[in-house]
Amino acid sequence: MVVSARHRTLSGLATGFVLVFFVAFCVFPFLWMLDTAFKPAAEVFSTAPTLWIASPTLSNFRAVVLESPFLIYFGNSLIVAGASTILTVSLSVFASYAMSRWSYLSVTQIVTGGLIVSQMIPGVLLLIPLYVLIRDMGLLSTYAALVIVYSTFMVPLASFMLKGFFDAVPRELEEAAAMDGCSRLGFIRRILLPVTLPGLMAIAVFAFIAAWNEFMFGYVLINDDARRTLTPGIMLFKGSHQTDWGSLTAASVLAAVPVALGFVYVQRFLITGLTAGAVKG
Amino acid sequence: MTTMDMATGSIASRPQAGIGRAARRVFWPSARVRAACAFLAPVAVLVAALIAAPLAGVVWNSLHHASLIDATVGGFAGLDNFRMVLDDEHFLPALTHTLVWTILSVAGEYACGLATALALAQPFRGRALVRGLIILPWVIPIAIAGVNWAWLLNPDYGVLNAWLVRMGVLAEPHDWLGRSETALLTVTLVNVWRSFPFYTISLLAALTSIPDDLYEAAALDGAGIVRRFFVITLPHLRPVSLTLIVIHVIWTAINFDFIWVMTQGGPLDATETLPILIYRYAMQEFDVGLACALATLSMAAMATLFLVQALVVRAREAR
Repeated sequence: MVVSARHRTLSGLATGFVLVFFVAFCVFPFLWMLDTAFKPAAEVFSTAPTLWIASPTLSNFRAVVLESPFLIYFGNSLIVAGASTILTVSLSVFASYAMSRWSYLSVTQIVTGGLIVSQMIPGVLLLIPLYVLIRDMGLLSTYAALVIVYSTFMVPLASFMLKGFFDAVPRELEEAAAMDGCSRLGFIRRILLPVTLPGLMAIAVFAFIAAWNEFMFGYVLINDDARRTLTPGIMLFKGSHQTDWGSLTAASVLAAVPVALGFVYVQRFLITGLTAGAVKG
Repeated sequence: MTTMDMATGSIASRPQAGIGRAARRVFWPSARVRAACAFLAPVAVLVAALIAAPLAGVVWNSLHHASLIDATVGGFAGLDNFRMVLDDEHFLPALTHTLVWTILSVAGEYACGLATALALAQPFRGRALVRGLIILPWVIPIAIAGVNWAWLLNPDYGVLNAWLVRMGVLAEPHDWLGRSETALLTVTLVNVWRSFPFYTISLLAALTSIPDDLYEAAALDGAGIVRRFFVITLPHLRPVSLTLIVIHVIWTAINFDFIWVMTQGGPLDATETLPILIYRYAMQEFDVGLACALATLSMAAMATLFLVQALVVRAREAR
Protein backbone atom coordinates (compact mmCIF):
# COMPACT_ATOMS: atom_id res chain seq x y z
CA MET A 1 0.00 0.00 0.00
CA VAL A 2 1.22 3.49 -0.72
CA VAL A 3 1.28 5.56 2.45
CA SER A 4 3.23 8.60 3.47
CA ALA A 5 5.63 8.28 6.39
CA ARG A 6 3.42 10.39 8.63
CA HIS A 7 0.36 8.28 7.80
CA ARG A 8 2.34 5.13 8.42
CA THR A 9 3.25 6.10 11.99
CA LEU A 10 -0.31 7.28 12.59
CA SER A 11 -1.92 4.09 11.36
CA GLY A 12 0.75 2.09 13.18
CA LEU A 13 -0.19 3.82 16.42
CA ALA A 14 -3.90 3.29 15.81
CA THR A 15 -3.31 -0.37 15.00
CA GLY A 16 -1.25 -0.85 18.14
CA PHE A 17 -3.82 0.87 20.32
CA VAL A 18 -6.74 -1.13 18.90
CA LEU A 19 -4.89 -4.43 19.26
CA VAL A 20 -3.69 -3.81 22.81
CA PHE A 21 -7.19 -2.81 23.87
CA PHE A 22 -8.90 -5.81 22.28
CA VAL A 23 -6.32 -8.35 23.38
CA ALA A 24 -6.80 -7.11 26.95
CA PHE A 25 -10.59 -7.18 26.52
CA CYS A 26 -10.53 -10.75 25.17
CA VAL A 27 -7.91 -12.24 27.44
CA PHE A 28 -8.55 -10.58 30.78
CA PRO A 29 -11.61 -12.66 31.79
CA PHE A 30 -9.60 -15.84 31.20
CA LEU A 31 -6.59 -14.45 32.98
CA TRP A 32 -8.76 -13.59 35.97
CA MET A 33 -10.39 -17.03 35.85
CA LEU A 34 -6.95 -18.68 35.93
CA ASP A 35 -5.86 -16.29 38.67
CA THR A 36 -8.85 -17.00 40.91
CA ALA A 37 -8.49 -20.74 40.42
CA PHE A 38 -5.10 -20.67 42.17
CA LYS A 39 -6.18 -18.41 45.04
CA PRO A 40 -6.99 -19.64 48.54
CA ALA A 41 -10.49 -18.82 49.78
CA ALA A 42 -9.29 -15.87 51.86
CA GLU A 43 -7.97 -14.16 48.74
CA VAL A 44 -10.92 -15.15 46.53
CA PHE A 45 -13.36 -13.55 48.95
CA SER A 46 -11.43 -10.35 49.36
CA THR A 47 -13.00 -6.94 48.81
CA ALA A 48 -9.69 -5.64 47.41
CA PRO A 49 -8.78 -8.31 44.84
CA THR A 50 -5.33 -8.28 43.24
CA LEU A 51 -3.85 -10.09 40.28
CA TRP A 52 -0.91 -11.08 42.45
CA ILE A 53 -1.54 -14.26 44.46
CA ALA A 54 0.04 -14.06 47.93
CA SER A 55 -0.12 -17.80 48.63
CA PRO A 56 -0.96 -19.80 45.48
CA THR A 57 -2.71 -23.10 46.11
CA LEU A 58 -4.06 -26.12 44.29
CA SER A 59 -6.82 -26.63 46.86
CA ASN A 60 -9.53 -25.41 44.47
CA PHE A 61 -8.53 -27.99 41.88
CA ARG A 62 -8.33 -30.66 44.55
CA ALA A 63 -11.81 -29.79 45.80
CA VAL A 64 -13.25 -29.85 42.30
CA VAL A 65 -11.68 -33.12 41.25
CA LEU A 66 -12.04 -35.06 44.49
CA GLU A 67 -15.07 -33.65 46.26
CA SER A 68 -17.49 -32.69 43.50
CA PRO A 69 -19.20 -34.52 40.62
CA PHE A 70 -16.88 -32.67 38.24
CA LEU A 71 -15.07 -35.80 37.04
CA ILE A 72 -18.40 -37.48 36.25
CA TYR A 73 -19.52 -34.46 34.19
CA PHE A 74 -16.15 -34.33 32.48
CA GLY A 75 -16.30 -38.03 31.60
CA ASN A 76 -19.87 -37.66 30.32
CA SER A 77 -18.85 -34.75 28.13
CA LEU A 78 -15.93 -36.76 26.76
CA ILE A 79 -18.18 -39.70 25.91
CA VAL A 80 -20.94 -37.59 24.36
CA ALA A 81 -18.59 -35.31 22.40
CA GLY A 82 -16.43 -38.25 21.27
CA ALA A 83 -19.37 -40.34 20.11
CA SER A 84 -21.03 -37.38 18.34
CA THR A 85 -17.77 -36.63 16.57
CA ILE A 86 -17.40 -40.19 15.32
CA LEU A 87 -21.02 -40.34 14.18
CA THR A 88 -20.88 -36.90 12.54
CA VAL A 89 -17.69 -37.61 10.63
CA SER A 90 -18.75 -41.10 9.49
CA LEU A 91 -22.08 -39.86 8.16
CA SER A 92 -20.53 -36.78 6.58
CA VAL A 93 -17.89 -38.80 4.70
CA PHE A 94 -20.55 -40.62 2.69
CA ALA A 95 -22.83 -37.62 2.24
CA SER A 96 -19.90 -35.43 1.17
CA TYR A 97 -18.65 -38.04 -1.28
CA ALA A 98 -22.04 -38.06 -2.95
CA MET A 99 -22.22 -34.26 -2.89
CA SER A 100 -18.75 -33.97 -4.35
CA ARG A 101 -18.90 -36.64 -7.07
CA TRP A 102 -22.58 -36.90 -7.91
CA SER A 103 -23.71 -33.32 -7.51
CA TYR A 104 -25.58 -33.55 -10.83
CA LEU A 105 -27.95 -36.26 -9.56
CA SER A 106 -31.35 -34.99 -8.49
CA VAL A 107 -31.29 -37.08 -5.30
CA THR A 108 -28.05 -35.35 -4.28
CA GLN A 109 -29.46 -31.95 -5.08
CA ILE A 110 -32.58 -32.60 -3.01
CA VAL A 111 -30.62 -33.78 0.03
CA THR A 112 -28.12 -30.91 -0.31
CA GLY A 113 -30.98 -28.43 -0.41
CA GLY A 114 -32.46 -30.06 2.67
CA LEU A 115 -29.15 -29.76 4.50
CA ILE A 116 -28.81 -26.08 3.60
CA VAL A 117 -32.31 -25.33 4.90
CA SER A 118 -31.86 -27.45 8.03
CA GLN A 119 -28.66 -25.61 8.85
CA MET A 120 -30.61 -22.39 9.11
CA ILE A 121 -33.13 -23.70 11.64
CA PRO A 122 -32.13 -22.82 15.18
CA GLY A 123 -32.26 -25.48 17.87
CA VAL A 124 -34.30 -23.44 20.37
CA LEU A 125 -37.32 -23.44 18.10
CA LEU A 126 -37.16 -27.24 17.85
CA LEU A 127 -36.52 -27.73 21.56
CA ILE A 128 -40.05 -28.77 22.50
CA PRO A 129 -40.79 -31.32 19.77
CA LEU A 130 -37.28 -32.73 20.17
CA TYR A 131 -37.80 -33.05 23.92
CA VAL A 132 -41.12 -34.84 23.33
CA LEU A 133 -39.57 -37.09 20.68
CA ILE A 134 -36.64 -38.05 22.91
CA ARG A 135 -38.97 -38.61 25.86
CA ASP A 136 -41.30 -40.82 23.83
CA MET A 137 -38.33 -42.87 22.65
CA GLY A 138 -37.39 -43.34 26.29
CA LEU A 139 -34.02 -41.69 25.74
CA LEU A 140 -34.23 -38.85 28.27
CA SER A 141 -31.08 -38.69 30.41
CA THR A 142 -29.12 -40.99 28.11
CA TYR A 143 -25.93 -40.39 26.17
CA ALA A 144 -27.72 -41.49 23.00
CA ALA A 145 -30.13 -38.53 23.17
CA LEU A 146 -27.34 -35.97 23.08
CA VAL A 147 -25.24 -37.90 20.57
CA ILE A 148 -28.11 -38.09 18.07
CA VAL A 149 -29.10 -34.46 18.49
CA TYR A 150 -25.56 -33.09 18.32
CA SER A 151 -24.73 -35.15 15.24
CA THR A 152 -27.88 -34.02 13.46
CA PHE A 153 -27.13 -30.36 14.06
CA MET A 154 -23.46 -30.74 13.11
CA VAL A 155 -23.81 -32.93 10.01
CA PRO A 156 -24.84 -30.20 7.53
CA LEU A 157 -21.87 -27.93 8.28
CA ALA A 158 -19.45 -30.89 8.46
CA SER A 159 -20.69 -32.21 5.10
CA PHE A 160 -20.29 -28.87 3.36
CA MET A 161 -16.77 -28.43 4.73
CA LEU A 162 -15.77 -31.99 3.86
CA LYS A 163 -17.18 -31.61 0.36
CA GLY A 164 -14.70 -28.81 -0.15
CA PHE A 165 -11.82 -31.09 0.78
CA PHE A 166 -13.12 -33.93 -1.41
CA ASP A 167 -13.57 -31.57 -4.38
CA ALA A 168 -9.85 -30.84 -4.22
CA VAL A 169 -8.95 -34.51 -4.78
CA PRO A 170 -8.48 -35.02 -8.55
CA ARG A 171 -10.84 -37.42 -10.33
CA GLU A 172 -7.87 -38.96 -12.15
CA LEU A 173 -6.82 -40.46 -8.84
CA GLU A 174 -10.19 -42.20 -8.58
CA GLU A 175 -10.09 -43.39 -12.18
CA ALA A 176 -6.59 -44.77 -11.72
CA ALA A 177 -7.71 -46.61 -8.58
CA ALA A 178 -10.74 -48.03 -10.40
CA MET A 179 -8.47 -49.13 -13.23
CA ASP A 180 -6.39 -51.05 -10.70
CA GLY A 181 -9.51 -52.81 -9.51
CA CYS A 182 -10.24 -50.72 -6.44
CA SER A 183 -13.90 -50.58 -5.47
CA ARG A 184 -15.59 -47.33 -4.52
CA LEU A 185 -15.52 -48.08 -0.80
CA GLY A 186 -11.94 -49.24 -1.16
CA PHE A 187 -11.06 -45.96 -2.84
CA ILE A 188 -12.72 -43.96 -0.05
CA ARG A 189 -10.98 -45.96 2.65
CA ARG A 190 -7.53 -46.43 1.13
CA ILE A 191 -7.05 -43.22 -0.85
CA LEU A 192 -9.63 -40.49 -0.29
CA LEU A 193 -9.61 -40.49 3.52
CA PRO A 194 -5.80 -40.64 3.91
CA VAL A 195 -5.37 -37.87 1.34
CA THR A 196 -7.86 -35.58 3.06
CA LEU A 197 -6.82 -36.51 6.60
CA PRO A 198 -5.89 -32.97 7.76
CA GLY A 199 -9.29 -31.65 6.68
CA LEU A 200 -11.02 -34.63 8.23
CA MET A 201 -9.23 -33.99 11.51
CA ALA A 202 -10.19 -30.32 11.46
CA ILE A 203 -13.84 -31.24 10.97
CA ALA A 204 -13.62 -33.81 13.75
CA VAL A 205 -12.19 -31.18 16.10
CA PHE A 206 -14.94 -28.73 15.09
CA ALA A 207 -17.59 -31.32 15.80
CA PHE A 208 -15.98 -32.16 19.12
CA ILE A 209 -15.77 -28.55 20.24
CA ALA A 210 -19.36 -27.89 19.17
CA ALA A 211 -20.60 -30.87 21.19
CA TRP A 212 -18.35 -30.05 24.15
CA ASN A 213 -19.59 -26.45 24.27
CA GLU A 214 -23.30 -27.10 23.73
CA PHE A 215 -25.46 -26.06 26.63
CA MET A 216 -29.19 -26.02 25.95
CA PHE A 217 -29.88 -29.60 24.92
CA GLY A 218 -27.56 -30.90 27.61
CA TYR A 219 -29.50 -28.82 30.11
CA VAL A 220 -32.95 -29.90 28.96
CA LEU A 221 -32.51 -33.51 27.82
CA ILE A 222 -30.46 -34.70 30.81
CA ASN A 223 -32.03 -34.71 34.28
CA ASP A 224 -29.85 -37.34 35.89
CA ASP A 225 -26.67 -36.20 37.63
CA ALA A 226 -24.87 -39.39 36.55
CA ARG A 227 -25.35 -38.47 32.87
CA ARG A 228 -25.00 -34.69 33.09
CA THR A 229 -22.46 -33.02 30.83
CA LEU A 230 -20.00 -30.32 31.77
CA THR A 231 -21.60 -27.09 30.56
CA PRO A 232 -24.93 -27.51 32.40
CA GLY A 233 -22.96 -29.00 35.27
CA ILE A 234 -20.87 -25.87 35.68
CA MET A 235 -23.93 -23.66 35.58
CA LEU A 236 -25.54 -25.76 38.31
CA PHE A 237 -22.36 -25.43 40.40
CA LYS A 238 -23.05 -21.73 40.40
CA GLY A 239 -26.71 -22.20 41.23
CA SER A 240 -26.10 -22.92 44.87
CA HIS A 241 -26.81 -19.99 47.18
CA GLN A 242 -23.28 -19.15 48.33
CA THR A 243 -21.13 -19.69 45.27
CA ASP A 244 -17.65 -21.11 45.80
CA TRP A 245 -15.93 -19.03 43.13
CA GLY A 246 -12.56 -20.71 43.69
CA SER A 247 -13.92 -24.13 42.75
CA LEU A 248 -16.02 -22.69 39.96
CA THR A 249 -13.04 -21.05 38.27
CA ALA A 250 -10.92 -24.17 38.78
CA ALA A 251 -13.64 -26.25 37.11
CA SER A 252 -13.85 -23.70 34.27
CA VAL A 253 -10.11 -23.91 33.68
CA LEU A 254 -10.22 -27.71 33.49
CA ALA A 255 -13.28 -27.63 31.21
CA ALA A 256 -11.65 -25.13 28.86
CA VAL A 257 -8.45 -27.13 28.42
CA PRO A 258 -9.65 -29.67 25.81
CA VAL A 259 -11.28 -26.90 23.79
CA ALA A 260 -8.16 -24.75 23.88
CA LEU A 261 -5.96 -27.66 22.76
CA GLY A 262 -8.29 -28.54 19.90
CA PHE A 263 -8.49 -24.91 18.91
CA VAL A 264 -4.72 -24.62 18.53
CA TYR A 265 -4.98 -27.38 15.95
CA VAL A 266 -7.92 -26.06 13.94
CA GLN A 267 -6.94 -22.41 13.95
CA ARG A 268 -5.48 -22.51 10.47
CA PHE A 269 -8.65 -24.08 9.09
CA LEU A 270 -10.85 -21.59 10.87
CA ILE A 271 -11.00 -18.91 8.19
CA THR A 272 -11.83 -21.15 5.25
CA GLY A 273 -14.11 -23.42 7.29
CA LEU A 274 -16.09 -20.66 8.91
CA THR A 275 -16.54 -18.59 5.82
CA ALA A 276 -17.60 -21.66 3.87
CA GLY A 277 -20.16 -22.43 6.55
CA ALA A 278 -21.20 -18.81 6.88
CA VAL A 279 -21.95 -18.43 3.21
CA LYS A 280 -24.07 -21.58 3.29
CA GLY A 281 -25.83 -20.66 6.50
CA MET B 1 -39.85 -44.42 -18.27
CA THR B 2 -40.88 -47.69 -16.67
CA THR B 3 -40.25 -49.72 -19.78
CA MET B 4 -36.81 -48.17 -20.10
CA ASP B 5 -36.04 -49.02 -16.49
CA MET B 6 -37.16 -52.56 -17.05
CA ALA B 7 -35.08 -52.82 -20.18
CA THR B 8 -31.90 -51.52 -18.57
CA GLY B 9 -32.62 -53.62 -15.52
CA SER B 10 -32.81 -56.82 -17.50
CA ILE B 11 -29.63 -55.95 -19.36
CA ALA B 12 -27.89 -54.92 -16.21
CA SER B 13 -28.78 -58.13 -14.46
CA ARG B 14 -26.52 -60.05 -16.82
CA PRO B 15 -23.76 -57.67 -17.82
CA GLN B 16 -21.36 -60.57 -18.36
CA ALA B 17 -23.40 -61.98 -21.23
CA GLY B 18 -21.35 -60.30 -23.89
CA ILE B 19 -23.35 -57.10 -24.04
CA GLY B 20 -21.38 -54.19 -25.38
CA ARG B 21 -20.15 -50.93 -23.99
CA ALA B 22 -23.34 -49.07 -24.92
CA ALA B 23 -25.46 -51.22 -22.63
CA ARG B 24 -23.05 -50.78 -19.77
CA ARG B 25 -23.22 -47.03 -20.18
CA VAL B 26 -26.97 -47.28 -19.69
CA PHE B 27 -26.41 -49.53 -16.68
CA TRP B 28 -23.96 -47.26 -14.86
CA PRO B 29 -26.18 -44.29 -13.99
CA SER B 30 -28.74 -46.40 -12.18
CA ALA B 31 -26.00 -48.05 -10.10
CA ARG B 32 -24.69 -44.60 -9.37
CA VAL B 33 -28.10 -43.39 -8.28
CA ARG B 34 -28.45 -46.37 -6.00
CA ALA B 35 -25.02 -45.75 -4.48
CA ALA B 36 -25.83 -42.06 -4.04
CA CYS B 37 -29.07 -42.95 -2.29
CA ALA B 38 -27.24 -45.31 0.05
CA PHE B 39 -24.58 -42.71 0.80
CA LEU B 40 -27.08 -39.95 1.48
CA ALA B 41 -29.77 -41.96 3.25
CA PRO B 42 -28.40 -41.85 6.83
CA VAL B 43 -27.96 -38.09 6.78
CA ALA B 44 -31.32 -37.58 5.10
CA VAL B 45 -33.09 -39.78 7.66
CA LEU B 46 -31.48 -37.98 10.62
CA VAL B 47 -32.30 -34.53 9.30
CA ALA B 48 -35.83 -35.56 8.36
CA ALA B 49 -36.51 -37.14 11.76
CA LEU B 50 -34.83 -34.59 14.00
CA ILE B 51 -35.21 -31.32 12.10
CA ALA B 52 -37.92 -31.54 9.43
CA ALA B 53 -40.47 -33.53 11.44
CA PRO B 54 -40.04 -31.45 14.63
CA LEU B 55 -40.36 -28.33 12.52
CA ALA B 56 -43.69 -29.56 11.19
CA GLY B 57 -44.53 -30.54 14.77
CA VAL B 58 -44.00 -26.97 15.96
CA VAL B 59 -46.46 -25.61 13.42
CA TRP B 60 -48.95 -28.43 14.13
CA ASN B 61 -48.76 -27.93 17.90
CA SER B 62 -49.18 -24.19 17.58
CA LEU B 63 -52.67 -24.85 16.21
CA HIS B 64 -53.57 -27.38 18.91
CA HIS B 65 -53.99 -27.56 22.65
CA ALA B 66 -51.16 -29.63 24.07
CA SER B 67 -49.49 -30.09 27.42
CA LEU B 68 -46.08 -31.45 28.19
CA ILE B 69 -47.23 -33.47 31.20
CA ASP B 70 -50.98 -33.98 30.77
CA ALA B 71 -51.76 -36.31 27.88
CA THR B 72 -55.51 -35.65 28.16
CA VAL B 73 -55.11 -32.08 26.94
CA GLY B 74 -55.69 -31.91 23.20
CA GLY B 75 -57.87 -30.76 20.37
CA PHE B 76 -57.78 -28.18 17.64
CA ALA B 77 -57.17 -24.69 18.94
CA GLY B 78 -57.28 -22.62 15.80
CA LEU B 79 -55.47 -19.39 16.44
CA ASP B 80 -56.17 -19.41 20.20
CA ASN B 81 -52.53 -20.05 21.09
CA PHE B 82 -51.36 -17.14 18.96
CA ARG B 83 -53.99 -14.89 20.50
CA MET B 84 -52.90 -15.91 23.98
CA VAL B 85 -49.24 -15.26 23.20
CA LEU B 86 -49.98 -11.80 21.82
CA ASP B 87 -52.23 -11.01 24.80
CA ASP B 88 -49.66 -12.20 27.34
CA GLU B 89 -48.33 -9.29 29.37
CA HIS B 90 -44.87 -10.85 29.04
CA PHE B 91 -44.91 -10.76 25.26
CA LEU B 92 -44.33 -7.07 24.52
CA PRO B 93 -41.54 -6.63 27.09
CA ALA B 94 -39.88 -9.82 25.81
CA LEU B 95 -40.12 -8.55 22.24
CA THR B 96 -38.62 -5.20 23.27
CA HIS B 97 -35.81 -6.94 25.15
CA THR B 98 -35.13 -9.15 22.15
CA LEU B 99 -34.92 -6.12 19.86
CA VAL B 100 -32.63 -4.16 22.21
CA TRP B 101 -30.43 -7.20 22.84
CA THR B 102 -30.22 -8.07 19.14
CA ILE B 103 -29.66 -4.60 17.70
CA LEU B 104 -27.10 -3.50 20.30
CA SER B 105 -25.29 -6.86 20.17
CA VAL B 106 -24.96 -6.92 16.39
CA ALA B 107 -23.99 -3.24 16.15
CA GLY B 108 -21.35 -3.64 18.87
CA GLU B 109 -20.05 -6.89 17.39
CA TYR B 110 -19.75 -5.37 13.93
CA ALA B 111 -17.89 -2.30 15.23
CA CYS B 112 -15.45 -4.40 17.28
CA GLY B 113 -15.04 -6.93 14.47
CA LEU B 114 -14.30 -4.26 11.87
CA ALA B 115 -11.79 -2.45 14.12
CA THR B 116 -9.90 -5.63 14.93
CA ALA B 117 -10.01 -6.93 11.35
CA LEU B 118 -8.56 -3.66 10.02
CA ALA B 119 -5.82 -3.74 12.66
CA LEU B 120 -5.04 -7.40 12.00
CA ALA B 121 -4.81 -6.76 8.26
CA GLN B 122 -1.68 -4.65 8.86
CA PRO B 123 1.58 -6.56 8.68
CA PHE B 124 3.38 -6.85 12.03
CA ARG B 125 5.25 -9.47 13.99
CA GLY B 126 3.29 -11.85 16.18
CA ARG B 127 0.12 -11.40 14.14
CA ALA B 128 -0.90 -15.08 14.37
CA LEU B 129 -0.60 -14.97 18.16
CA VAL B 130 -2.70 -11.82 18.48
CA ARG B 131 -5.30 -13.29 16.15
CA GLY B 132 -5.43 -16.43 18.27
CA LEU B 133 -5.88 -14.43 21.47
CA ILE B 134 -8.68 -12.34 19.98
CA ILE B 135 -10.56 -15.44 18.81
CA LEU B 136 -10.34 -16.98 22.29
CA PRO B 137 -13.73 -15.78 23.66
CA TRP B 138 -15.52 -17.32 20.71
CA VAL B 139 -14.01 -20.77 21.36
CA ILE B 140 -14.68 -21.17 25.08
CA PRO B 141 -18.09 -22.65 26.01
CA ILE B 142 -20.80 -20.05 26.58
CA ALA B 143 -21.60 -21.59 29.96
CA ILE B 144 -18.05 -21.07 31.17
CA ALA B 145 -17.77 -17.57 29.72
CA GLY B 146 -21.09 -16.57 31.29
CA VAL B 147 -20.25 -17.97 34.71
CA ASN B 148 -16.86 -16.27 34.75
CA TRP B 149 -18.28 -12.92 33.69
CA ALA B 150 -20.72 -13.24 36.56
CA TRP B 151 -17.66 -13.63 38.79
CA LEU B 152 -15.93 -10.57 37.31
CA LEU B 153 -19.12 -8.54 37.81
CA ASN B 154 -19.89 -9.87 41.29
CA PRO B 155 -20.94 -6.96 43.54
CA ASP B 156 -19.17 -8.22 46.68
CA TYR B 157 -15.85 -9.66 45.52
CA GLY B 158 -15.79 -8.98 41.76
CA VAL B 159 -12.66 -7.36 40.41
CA LEU B 160 -14.39 -4.98 37.98
CA ASN B 161 -16.48 -3.35 40.71
CA ALA B 162 -13.44 -3.12 42.98
CA TRP B 163 -11.42 -1.38 40.27
CA LEU B 164 -14.22 0.95 39.21
CA VAL B 165 -14.69 2.03 42.83
CA ARG B 166 -10.97 2.50 43.31
CA MET B 167 -10.72 4.60 40.14
CA GLY B 168 -13.59 6.73 41.40
CA VAL B 169 -15.96 5.86 38.53
CA LEU B 170 -18.44 4.30 40.94
CA ALA B 171 -19.19 5.45 44.47
CA GLU B 172 -20.00 1.90 45.54
CA PRO B 173 -20.08 -1.55 43.88
CA HIS B 174 -22.98 -2.03 41.49
CA ASP B 175 -24.80 -5.32 41.01
CA TRP B 176 -24.63 -5.20 37.22
CA LEU B 177 -26.52 -8.44 36.56
CA GLY B 178 -28.75 -8.26 39.62
CA ARG B 179 -30.34 -4.85 38.99
CA SER B 180 -33.05 -4.61 36.38
CA GLU B 181 -31.75 -1.27 34.94
CA THR B 182 -28.35 -2.66 33.95
CA ALA B 183 -28.91 -6.43 33.54
CA LEU B 184 -29.89 -6.42 29.86
CA LEU B 185 -27.09 -4.04 28.83
CA THR B 186 -24.53 -6.05 30.78
CA VAL B 187 -25.57 -9.33 29.20
CA THR B 188 -25.42 -7.59 25.81
CA LEU B 189 -21.88 -6.41 26.47
CA VAL B 190 -20.78 -9.91 27.40
CA ASN B 191 -22.45 -11.22 24.26
CA VAL B 192 -20.52 -8.70 22.16
CA TRP B 193 -17.33 -9.86 23.84
CA ARG B 194 -18.13 -13.45 23.03
CA SER B 195 -19.37 -13.06 19.43
CA PHE B 196 -17.30 -10.33 17.76
CA PRO B 197 -14.29 -12.60 16.97
CA PHE B 198 -16.42 -14.34 14.35
CA TYR B 199 -16.76 -10.98 12.56
CA THR B 200 -13.03 -10.42 12.93
CA ILE B 201 -12.17 -13.66 11.14
CA SER B 202 -14.73 -13.24 8.38
CA LEU B 203 -13.94 -9.58 7.72
CA LEU B 204 -10.22 -10.29 7.85
CA ALA B 205 -10.64 -12.95 5.15
CA ALA B 206 -12.50 -10.44 2.99
CA LEU B 207 -9.91 -7.71 3.64
CA THR B 208 -6.97 -9.86 2.61
CA SER B 209 -8.70 -10.70 -0.67
CA ILE B 210 -8.78 -7.04 -1.78
CA PRO B 211 -6.00 -6.63 -4.36
CA ASP B 212 -3.25 -4.19 -3.37
CA ASP B 213 -3.22 -2.68 -6.90
CA LEU B 214 -6.53 -1.02 -6.18
CA TYR B 215 -5.06 0.90 -3.27
CA GLU B 216 -1.96 1.81 -5.24
CA ALA B 217 -3.96 3.07 -8.20
CA ALA B 218 -6.18 5.11 -5.89
CA ALA B 219 -3.16 6.54 -4.09
CA LEU B 220 -1.61 7.54 -7.42
CA ASP B 221 -4.84 9.31 -8.28
CA GLY B 222 -4.45 11.29 -5.08
CA ALA B 223 -6.98 9.53 -2.84
CA GLY B 224 -6.07 9.89 0.86
CA ILE B 225 -6.17 7.08 3.36
CA VAL B 226 -9.69 7.94 4.56
CA ARG B 227 -11.06 8.24 1.06
CA ARG B 228 -9.46 4.93 0.10
CA PHE B 229 -11.18 3.30 3.07
CA PHE B 230 -14.61 4.53 2.01
CA VAL B 231 -14.16 4.01 -1.73
CA ILE B 232 -12.30 0.69 -1.78
CA THR B 233 -12.37 -1.10 1.58
CA LEU B 234 -15.99 -0.66 2.63
CA PRO B 235 -17.56 -1.57 -0.74
CA HIS B 236 -15.45 -4.74 -0.80
CA LEU B 237 -16.67 -5.70 2.65
CA ARG B 238 -20.33 -5.16 1.81
CA PRO B 239 -21.31 -8.71 0.71
CA VAL B 240 -19.61 -10.38 3.70
CA SER B 241 -21.04 -7.78 6.03
CA LEU B 242 -24.58 -8.32 4.82
CA THR B 243 -24.30 -12.09 5.32
CA LEU B 244 -22.64 -11.68 8.71
CA ILE B 245 -25.25 -9.26 9.97
CA VAL B 246 -28.26 -11.24 8.78
CA ILE B 247 -26.88 -14.47 10.27
CA HIS B 248 -26.10 -12.79 13.56
CA VAL B 249 -29.40 -10.96 13.83
CA ILE B 250 -31.02 -14.38 13.68
CA TRP B 251 -28.50 -16.18 15.90
CA THR B 252 -28.72 -13.43 18.50
CA ALA B 253 -32.47 -13.03 18.46
CA ILE B 254 -32.98 -16.74 19.07
CA ASN B 255 -30.05 -17.20 21.46
CA PHE B 256 -31.08 -18.97 24.63
CA ASP B 257 -27.81 -20.02 26.28
CA PHE B 258 -26.20 -16.73 27.16
CA ILE B 259 -29.08 -15.10 28.95
CA TRP B 260 -30.10 -18.32 30.63
CA VAL B 261 -26.63 -18.97 32.00
CA MET B 262 -26.14 -15.43 33.28
CA THR B 263 -29.53 -14.26 34.52
CA GLN B 264 -32.19 -16.88 33.62
CA GLY B 265 -34.30 -14.00 32.32
CA GLY B 266 -34.24 -12.11 35.61
CA PRO B 267 -34.08 -9.95 37.61
CA LEU B 268 -37.82 -9.24 37.49
CA ASP B 269 -37.91 -10.46 33.86
CA ALA B 270 -35.56 -7.62 32.84
CA THR B 271 -33.64 -9.94 30.50
CA GLU B 272 -36.54 -12.10 29.38
CA THR B 273 -36.29 -12.44 25.59
CA LEU B 274 -38.50 -14.47 23.25
CA PRO B 275 -36.43 -17.70 23.44
CA ILE B 276 -36.51 -17.52 27.24
CA LEU B 277 -40.27 -17.05 27.04
CA ILE B 278 -40.58 -20.10 24.76
CA TYR B 279 -38.61 -22.12 27.28
CA ARG B 280 -40.77 -20.89 30.17
CA TYR B 281 -44.05 -21.66 28.38
CA ALA B 282 -42.84 -25.19 27.64
CA MET B 283 -40.71 -26.25 30.57
CA GLN B 284 -42.23 -24.26 33.43
CA GLU B 285 -45.88 -23.85 32.39
CA PHE B 286 -45.86 -27.09 30.34
CA ASP B 287 -48.01 -25.42 27.68
CA VAL B 288 -46.68 -26.89 24.43
CA GLY B 289 -49.28 -25.15 22.28
CA LEU B 290 -48.34 -21.72 23.59
CA ALA B 291 -44.60 -22.37 23.27
CA CYS B 292 -45.00 -23.64 19.72
CA ALA B 293 -47.13 -20.66 18.73
CA LEU B 294 -44.36 -18.33 19.87
CA ALA B 295 -41.75 -20.50 18.12
CA THR B 296 -43.82 -20.36 14.92
CA LEU B 297 -44.03 -16.57 15.14
CA SER B 298 -40.25 -16.37 15.61
CA MET B 299 -39.69 -18.68 12.69
CA ALA B 300 -41.96 -16.59 10.46
CA ALA B 301 -40.02 -13.45 11.40
CA MET B 302 -36.74 -15.24 10.60
CA ALA B 303 -37.96 -16.51 7.25
CA THR B 304 -39.11 -13.00 6.34
CA LEU B 305 -35.68 -11.64 7.15
CA PHE B 306 -34.00 -14.27 4.98
CA LEU B 307 -36.39 -13.53 2.15
CA VAL B 308 -35.70 -9.80 2.35
CA GLN B 309 -31.96 -10.45 2.33
CA ALA B 310 -32.26 -12.72 -0.70
CA LEU B 311 -34.31 -10.08 -2.52
CA VAL B 312 -31.81 -7.36 -1.67
CA VAL B 313 -28.93 -9.49 -2.92
CA ARG B 314 -30.77 -10.33 -6.12
CA ALA B 315 -31.71 -6.70 -6.74
CA ARG B 316 -28.09 -5.68 -6.28
CA GLU B 317 -26.82 -8.38 -8.64
CA ALA B 318 -29.35 -7.34 -11.28
CA ARG B 319 -28.09 -3.78 -11.14
